[in-house]
Amino acid sequence: MPHRFLIIAILLATFALSAILLWRQDASTTSSPLTMTPAGGDFTLNSKDGPVSLRDFKGKVVLLYFGYTFCPDICPSSLALVSAALHRLPPEDQKQIQPLFVSVDPERDSLDHLQQYSRYFHESFIGLTGSPDVIKSVADSYGAAYRKVAEKSSTAYTVDHSANLYLIDTQGKLSGQLAHGTPPEEISSALSKLLHPQTKE
Amino acid sequence: MKRAFISTLLALTLSGPLLAAGSDSIQASDPYVRAVPPGMANSAAFMQLMNNDKNGHALVAAESPAAKAVELHTHVHEGGMMMMRKIDKIDLPAGQPVALQPGGLHVMLLGLVKDLKPGDQVELTLIYEDGSKSKLSAPVKMIEGMPMQRGQMSH
Repeated sequence: MPHRFLIIAILLATFALSAILLWRQDASTTSSPLTMTPAGGDFTLNSKDGPVSLRDFKGKVVLLYFGYTFCPDICPSSLALVSAALHRLPPEDQKQIQPLFVSVDPERDSLDHLQQYSRYFHESFIGLTGSPDVIKSVADSYGAAYRKVAEKSSTAYTVDHSANLYLIDTQGKLSGQLAHGTPPEEISSALSKLLHPQTKE
Repeated sequence: MKRAFISTLLALTLSGPLLAAGSDSIQASDPYVRAVPPGMANSAAFMQLMNNDKNGHALVAAESPAAKAVELHTHVHEGGMMMMRKIDKIDLPAGQPVALQPGGLHVMLLGLVKDLKPGDQVELTLIYEDGSKSKLSAPVKMIEGMPMQRGQMSH
């Protein structure tokens, strides 16, 4: 008789444990918008040379990054890695890649400044921004998160932001994301694979 | 015997005020300031700090003629978000190295007086919790990992 109770207890415990594990797994994939697979898609933002849409770059691989130029550390670090990755690729491949830097801080980032800033990292970079509403919808569709934070600091405010690099294939489809700090060789190999899907390493 | 004990005690007591100042015990090595894209308002200084004292110290402020304001900052990574925050001090525990490095603790230079180019030198004053100060000169370096671009090389 006690054996039966024991078996039932074990079964219940197993069931409870797997339920918890399943629930936790579920929570980890849905709780944060940053871990969901975003839809991506076309967008139009402003550059110094006029409006720019993602569809303008059909046939090229697009590397998309959201940041702001007041960002003293994370953005320059990410962009420097992109710069190094691009420079590792042969010039003919570099021409087939369009890096885009989207400022989530249009209040402080003028189009002039954005162009100057992003071209420092690679001559092909385009600096983009738009109205807060438009930026929000673009960021949402790529799963990029940011929020303005008031600080008792000379920066007046800082912007918390996700720092993933978004890889968009030659058809304008979001193909993948690379986390902040991904080494240049991994970025360039990911770009290379998108440019030359038929060739294997 | 008793006298010897008292004098030892006295010596120990007197040595109290002679505790090493932060500026004497903290060694700042490999300092550098990041070169910035033209027109960029801010940059950051990084370095290794080593507290050789038996007592803990703290870096509480920094000054530089290269920027309108200098602050101590850190980065917090949470749920995929990068958050930069101003902090009041950087603790320097006794005998332990503390790294000020990209993505973490840094001395932030706000409102740069001029663009910082590789090869420039930036004067920094580090101020410790006991009010002691140490001066250092940090070279401006290209952002880590970034290749020299053709446009920036002198011809």
